[in-house]
Amino acid sequence: MSDNMLCSKSHEYVSGENGKYTIGLTDYAVEQLGDIVFIELPEVGSQFTKSEVFATVESVKAASEIYMPISGTVVEINEAIVEKPELLNDDPHGAGWLIKVDSDADDTEFADLLEYSDYKDEVE
Amino acid sequence: MTKETFLHDKHVALNAKMVDFAGWHMPVQYSSIIEEHKTVRENVGLFDVSHMGELIVSGPDACPYLNKLVPQDITKLVDRKAVYCQLTNKQAGIIDDLIIYKLEDEKYLVIANAARIGEDLNWMVRNERGFNVSISNESHNYSLLAIQGPKAIDLMAKMGVVNLPPFFTIKRGELCNVNLWISRTGYTGEDGVEILVKNEFSELLWDKILEYGKEFGIRPIGLGARDTLRLEAALHLYGNDLSEDTTPIEAGLSWSVSKTKIEDYNGKAVIEDQLKNGAQKKLIGLVMTDRAIARHGYDVFYNGEKVGVITSGGISPVNQTNIALAYVKSIPEIDIDSLIQVEIRGKLYNAKVVKRPFIKKNNKG
Repeated sequence: MSDNMLCSKSHEYVSGENGKYTIGLTDYAVEQLGDIVFIELPEVGSQFTKSEVFATVESVKAASEIYMPISGTVVEINEAIVEKPELLNDDPHGAGWLIKVDSDADDTEFADLLEYSDYKDEVE
Repeated sequence: MTKETFLHDKHVALNAKMVDFAGWHMPVQYSSIIEEHKTVRENVGLFDVSHMGELIVSGPDACPYLNKLVPQDITKLVDRKAVYCQLTNKQAGIIDDLIIYKLEDEKYLVIANAARIGEDLNWMVRNERGFNVSISNESHNYSLLAIQGPKAIDLMAKMGVVNLPPFFTIKRGELCNVNLWISRTGYTGEDGVEILVKNEFSELLWDKILEYGKEFGIRPIGLGARDTLRLEAALHLYGNDLSEDTTPIEAGLSWSVSKTKIEDYNGKAVIEDQLKNGAQKKLIGLVMTDRAIARHGYDVFYNGEKVGVITSGGISPVNQTNIALAYVKSIPEIDIDSLIQVEIRGKLYNAKVVKRPFIKKNNKG
């Protein structure tokens, strides 16, 4: 999945194509957070603009707000991680995805997102 | 500049996640806070708490001097015994919470919070007039290691220390041919010891304790688990649950205040008044009944009215619940089993007032 994945500087990833995208938290962000114990996701149908807060992820130590890397309408949320937040620790780029969105974001919204390898260089 | 303990390189070598805490570069976790927490509840954990302050108060007036600074009765302290107490200002606000040990006649050891040593010393010097006493900050000479958990005592025995001091008592001891102080204290709610040793021996002891501890399932424990452990045990954290705006009575610490002490002490009038007539606010323990985590600073509501604020909140890894400490208006309606609400990200979530601590403590406290 890492191949077509783009990452924001606030550590969200977006993957997919043709207006259908999956959004989650990068492995780096999850590693930094440590044990994740609580996840609050938006309702299906909610609309968000780019950079808007759409979810909250809580580690043992603190609550973190999660921002939309692109604008979109939520079409599916990952119920499994709400029940088992540790899934996000185990597999952030796979089973630990947060939401799926329909998006008509154009190139300008993608312009400040980084290829995964560039993102890794930036944060490490 | 950020300070480092003598064990800093050990933490880095163990791949600890390091954070700045109270001016120190300290390990927050080595593996996982939850795993480290469970290790201390089930086996034994080793903590570097060398950032804590050590002050020696000595001289002919050491006892009456300390007795003026804290609500505990220091005259009752016998050699090698310790008390938990608070350094109070004239309004009974808490400048710091301390453990005071009587080492011998006219010589006391004061353990202080890292972030408060400067304030403590400032206040102590201001109160020195008229007392023949000397105050020495020894913090830079000593390392402090905590060994905590149900297997801590077995581990000490394995290392040759069999006659451990009773709870809240300190003794001279020897570990790996190093002379040191062993105290039966901690900040986890578990049985265990804290070892006060000259800096130059701390690395040797750290390695040996981890080596001997292997068969007991030992792990190094960071500040993250130290915080969840103390919260489950409902032990106060200075800066969160205690401040100069809080008295020992409001903080639910009246058990650590002498009711019979004749001598005057800073804040005595306020404390006696609050003991007699009650205080404006009180500390309560909460368990969230709705699915949400209360955190430091969140507002607390009762019957639609804002009545207080969360001072510490998080998870209880043992109970698998979300727990918190809060200060609320001191009204009789808010009592054990009362339903109250916590505002989290703009919404109200239910919580129940419960007895503290949140777990059964396993020390003799």
